[in-house]
Amino acid sequence: MMKETPIAAFDRELSIDDLLKGVNREKLLQALRSLLGESVCILNMAGDSVLGEYNDRIDSIRIPLTIQLEPVAYLQAGDSKVTHSATILVEQILKSAERYLMASNLHVEAVHADYEALQKKHEALMDSEEKYKALAQNLEQRVEEQVKTIENAQRQLYQAEKLASVGQLAAGIAHEINNPVGFITSNLATAQNYVSNIVKFSEQIQKELNGPVLKRVWDECDIEYMLQDFNELLKESVSGAERVAGIVSDLKDFSNVDRTEEATLNINQIIHSVCNVATNQIGQKAELELALGELPLTRCRPGHLAQVFLNILLNAVTAIKKAAGKIQIESGLINREIVIRVSDNGKGMSAEVMRRIFDPFYTTHDVGEGTGLGLTVSRDIIAAHNGTITVDSQEDTGTTFTIILPVKE
Amino acid sequence: MAEYDEQLQKLTIKLVYYGPAQSGKTTNLMRLYDMLRPELKGDIMTMETKNDRTLFFDLLPIGFRAPSGLLIKFKLFTVPGQVAHDGTRKAVLSRADGVVFVADSQSSQSMNNAQSFQNLADNCARAGLDFESLPLVIQFNKRDLPDIVSKDEVSARWDKTQWSLFFSSALNGDGVKETFVELLRQVYPAMERRFELHTKHGIKEHDFIMSVMTSTETGVP
Ligand SMILES: Nc1nc2c(ncn2[C@@H]2O[C@H](COP(=O)(O)OP(=O)(O)OP(=O)(O)O)[C@@H](O)[C@H]2O)c(=O)[nH]1
Ligand SMILES: Nc1ncnc2c1ncn2[C@@H]1O[C@H](COP(=O)(O)OP(=O)(O)OP(=O)(O)O)[C@@H](O)[C@H]1O
Ligand SMILES: [Mg+2]
Ligand SMILES: [Mg+2]
Repeated sequence: MMKETPIAAFDRELSIDDLLKGVNREKLLQALRSLLGESVCILNMAGDSVLGEYNDRIDSIRIPLTIQLEPVAYLQAGDSKVTHSATILVEQILKSAERYLMASNLHVEAVHADYEALQKKHEALMDSEEKYKALAQNLEQRVEEQVKTIENAQRQLYQAEKLASVGQLAAGIAHEINNPVGFITSNLATAQNYVSNIVKFSEQIQKELNGPVLKRVWDECDIEYMLQDFNELLKESVSGAERVAGIVSDLKDFSNVDRTEEATLNINQIIHSVCNVATNQIGQKAELELALGELPLTRCRPGHLAQVFLNILLNAVTAIKKAAGKIQIESGLINREIVIRVSDNGKGMSAEVMRRIFDPFYTTHDVGEGTGLGLTVSRDIIAAHNGTITVDSQEDTGTTFTIILPVKE
Repeated sequence: MAEYDEQLQKLTIKLVYYGPAQSGKTTNLMRLYDMLRPELKGDIMTMETKNDRTLFFDLLPIGFRAPSGLLIKFKLFTVPGQVAHDGTRKAVLSRADGVVFVADSQSSQSMNNAQSFQNLADNCARAGLDFESLPLVIQFNKRDLPDIVSKDEVSARWDKTQWSLFFSSALNGDGVKETFVELLRQVYPAMERRFELHTKHGIKEHDFIMSVMTSTETGVP
């Protein structure tokens, strides 16, 4: 079907009015009058005059002016040969006007078509620009998603690696200590046995003590006290060895941190083992105070939670810059939720820093000293436990991290 | 699209000679002006630059009256072939009822023919004409020249298509009429369908063609 053409078609039929637009009417009329007399006029197809004054003189004739096969007007003038010649002349003038009009109309139409085409091109361009914009936006979003995926993967990798290395270290230490602790304990038991035999033997000696030399040496060496103290020493050593064995067993627990299975246990247990592992790092820098309240058993991933507590604890240790550092770990059941609070009196954080600490790779530490993933991973883990982790901090005063975990039967 | 004026009892049919620059479109029209003897024949309006190249269009109006009194008017146009005048070409092509594609048979012009034919298809789309159903006759012109693509070669290329093919030498008039008659033959059915040329106006295909060729055979006073 034909498209709607907003401008007039160049090849439309032209009326006498159209055709006369391209002609100087005054001059044409003047010329016609001098040729044919004052009564000459041009009438349109309806019989109205379009040039000259209409009159109805009986002696005049009307001759059609034919353009493109059809009459478009009539020349009316006195009946003479000149009138017929004048008709041909006017026709030629009109044809030349027609030629000019058609050409200029065509030009307008062509330019319009070009303009339309340009406009369409422009629209298409805008369209594709929109598409590219959308694509670019999409791309940005996709890149963001991709980055997130990578960050996630990296975090998990970091977590796994950190857990694995901590676990390996713990396992190695446990293994190394276990053996000597084993023989120390068993040797101590043997030694206690020996001492009790010696005590028995010395009691007999005392009964039969009559030689003056023997008595002097006995007193000089304070054998009686020695035997008594010996026993005490061994007892102390045994309890010491037991403590070492306890730590080793904690270490062994901790060596399982890279295992992510769920278990049902008391979270205080995890806190204990984490504190044991961190003892070395805490060292002389801070005093560690535990205030662990009664907690119900809960189903969780102990390995992961251990990682969280360790991260927070080590951050606290790092934050302590002055002497008399203090780190407190509290736990308890509030509103049937497990609440763990780790506070330190370290350097604290500005609001600016606080806003960003959970962001991946955000660290205020020097390159190589921190990855800035510790808290990110921690938040992930707590979130996976349907819990929350929040921070409260004041510059130069200290920081408190609060973890709230729902109890899971 | 043909224009039908009920009140003035007039049907105007637009036919367009299309093709690459210098292929002989204007020459075709001039030969038709010489050869056709219709009842009504206007002056040929040509608009050429000094070296014979059509700048806007050429126009030859011809026509006849049907027994019913209906004036059937044909406006034969040529487009400017030069690549640069594409806007004009499209505007002239607009509203066409039929097209003769005048190709230049010279071997050197094959490329131009192909490009121009593609341009015809494109401009049909732009002008809202259905290229597939548009009455279209292919004319390979300048057969009198040496170094032209052989008939076999041209036929091999065009016989597979839906369009009828004519060979011509417009300069001496060979094939010009035949091409035009074929176009009229193709245009008639659509006109008959839309305006009941036969039933209402008493014009059969034969009359339609012959009235344009020569006024003596129509029997219309
Ligand atoms: N030898 C020969 N020359 C021809 C023939 N037809 C046209 N010519 C010549 O080719 C030249 C171009 O012819 P035109 O009819 O002006 O071509 P056109 O297609 O109207 O060209 P544009 O208006 O520029 O698009 C003229 O010199 C014609 O004389 C032909 O059949 N044989
Ligand atoms: N207790 C705290 N006191 C002061 N600042 C802290 C404390 N805990 C965390 N921050 C701040 O939060 C930042 C981010 O901590 P996060 O544990 O995520 O990373 P990190 O300790 O820098 O590196 P790593 O990934 O090795 O743990 C730290 O760089 C530090 O500036
Ligand atoms: Mg950290
Ligand atoms: Mg031409």
